[in-house]
Amino acid sequence: MTELLTVTGITAGYGDGPAILDGAHLTVEPGKVHCIIGPNGAGKSTLLKAICGMLKIRKGEVRFKGERLNGLRPDQIYRKGIVFVPQERALFPKMSVRENLRMGGFIMDDAHELDRRVEEVMERFPILKERAHQKAGTMSGGQQQTLAMARTMIIKPDIVMLDEPSLGLAPKIVKEMFEIMAMMAKDGITILLVEQNALMGLKHADWGVVLDLGRTLFEGPAAEVLGDPRIQELYLGGKRAA
Amino acid sequence: MAHTLQILILGLALGGVFALMGAGLSLVFGVMRIVNLAHPVMIIGGAYVAYWGFRLWGVDPLVTLPIAAVILAAVGVILYKVVFEKEAKAATYSEMTVLLTFAVAMIIEGALGTAFSNTQRVTSPDYATDAIFIGDIFIPTGQLYAGIVSLVIISGLALFLKYSRFGYAIRATTQNRDAASLLGVNVNLVSMVSFAIGVGLAGAAGALVSFVFSFFPAKHWEWIAILMSLVVLGGMGSILGTVVAAFLLSVIAAFVGAYVGATWSTMTFFLALFLILIVRPQGLFGDKPELA
Repeated sequence: MTELLTVTGITAGYGDGPAILDGAHLTVEPGKVHCIIGPNGAGKSTLLKAICGMLKIRKGEVRFKGERLNGLRPDQIYRKGIVFVPQERALFPKMSVRENLRMGGFIMDDAHELDRRVEEVMERFPILKERAHQKAGTMSGGQQQTLAMARTMIIKPDIVMLDEPSLGLAPKIVKEMFEIMAMMAKDGITILLVEQNALMGLKHADWGVVLDLGRTLFEGPAAEVLGDPRIQELYLGGKRAA
Repeated sequence: MAHTLQILILGLALGGVFALMGAGLSLVFGVMRIVNLAHPVMIIGGAYVAYWGFRLWGVDPLVTLPIAAVILAAVGVILYKVVFEKEAKAATYSEMTVLLTFAVAMIIEGALGTAFSNTQRVTSPDYATDAIFIGDIFIPTGQLYAGIVSLVIISGLALFLKYSRFGYAIRATTQNRDAASLLGVNVNLVSMVSFAIGVGLAGAAGALVSFVFSFFPAKHWEWIAILMSLVVLGGMGSILGTVVAAFLLSVIAAFVGAYVGATWSTMTFFLALFLILIVRPQGLFGDKPELA
């Protein structure tokens, strides 16, 4: 079995509300960048939230390295090596950049090793080192996103799930975010990316997954998905030259 | 001049006690978003532990203080398990907990009244009625000791929150509950422990209160407004803010008591509560309410 994570026919929604996901499938292979695309309300973010334990899975199952994840809390799933960076970035606004990075390794028992990794990450991201003592809440959107993404590297996870890392950022900064993602992938981290901008997302991915109305419409190599006429028609606005 | 200094000192001494009384309330609000209306009645509970320790065995309230803290912390754990844990996922959690804690306050008040009657109580160790004189200025030792012990406990709490691993988890949960959960923090456990610490602090404050004020079960209704004014002025959930607010308002209340009239002293806290909510609802150290 080569799959790292498998999602089989899951149904999930918010509270007692209607099911947003209605039988979604997903196969995540190690070391690849997977991009989930689909129109608004397709259930892209919901899928990530269901995998990381924020939402209850009503039907179907999620397996990671063969182990069933259904019913585990987010903190338990994090300990398995699956990190989720939500759209809101999950930072602690009143903590310094360094403290935020340290929180990334909250589950680590070895404090010295944690300090070492925090330093390591700050070496890789000079902007974070420069602002080590600044409160995270006072940084720009791009810097906050950099911090949120860099923080995932502290525990050297298996999978990082990114929910629209480009949201609300200037094009130049968006490019930087994709560079960071590429850096993570190079480190051997498997990426699961949700991107509103399907074209841009697929360009940076190995594998594309198309979601609509809570179901997986189809999936395939990113280049193929990008060139698929149905996708061009449905999600990329038709005539656009890819 | 001496008179002014005297009032200032009395205000500060009282501020120390109020700071500890409010600290636990602020912690619980910060972590769990629960406005624990039962907090002051927990303080009364702690005061009774100290009172009976003193009355039956002559134990100094400062010695009973850790015992009161532990007993009340245990009450906190039970209360959390029975009352608050199940509701934690409800969308109307904040509204629910106001009613729940109100009910808990009524029940505990009733139980205390039935068990110990509504007689005014006070513990009277020697230092409670003593005073230190520096020139014309006198410092009541009871309030002085209470203030010092209170600051020591709050400093300990601050160090715990700032440097311990669990303290990190508490602060993280306070600032962003979802984010903490997504980084491996068991936020339910953090909530339970924080609630226990908060109620434990009420127990500790109760031991101090037992020789600073006279108390009876229904006394907590007066304190809830006072403590709310401290927590709101400090900025909901900011313990440092609560401490600063406690000293600030206690000193102002002392001056109001001296120059306007003793009956207006307590009113200072209530007026402050209204004024803060109108002028600066986020308090001294709180965040501006987000518009999102």
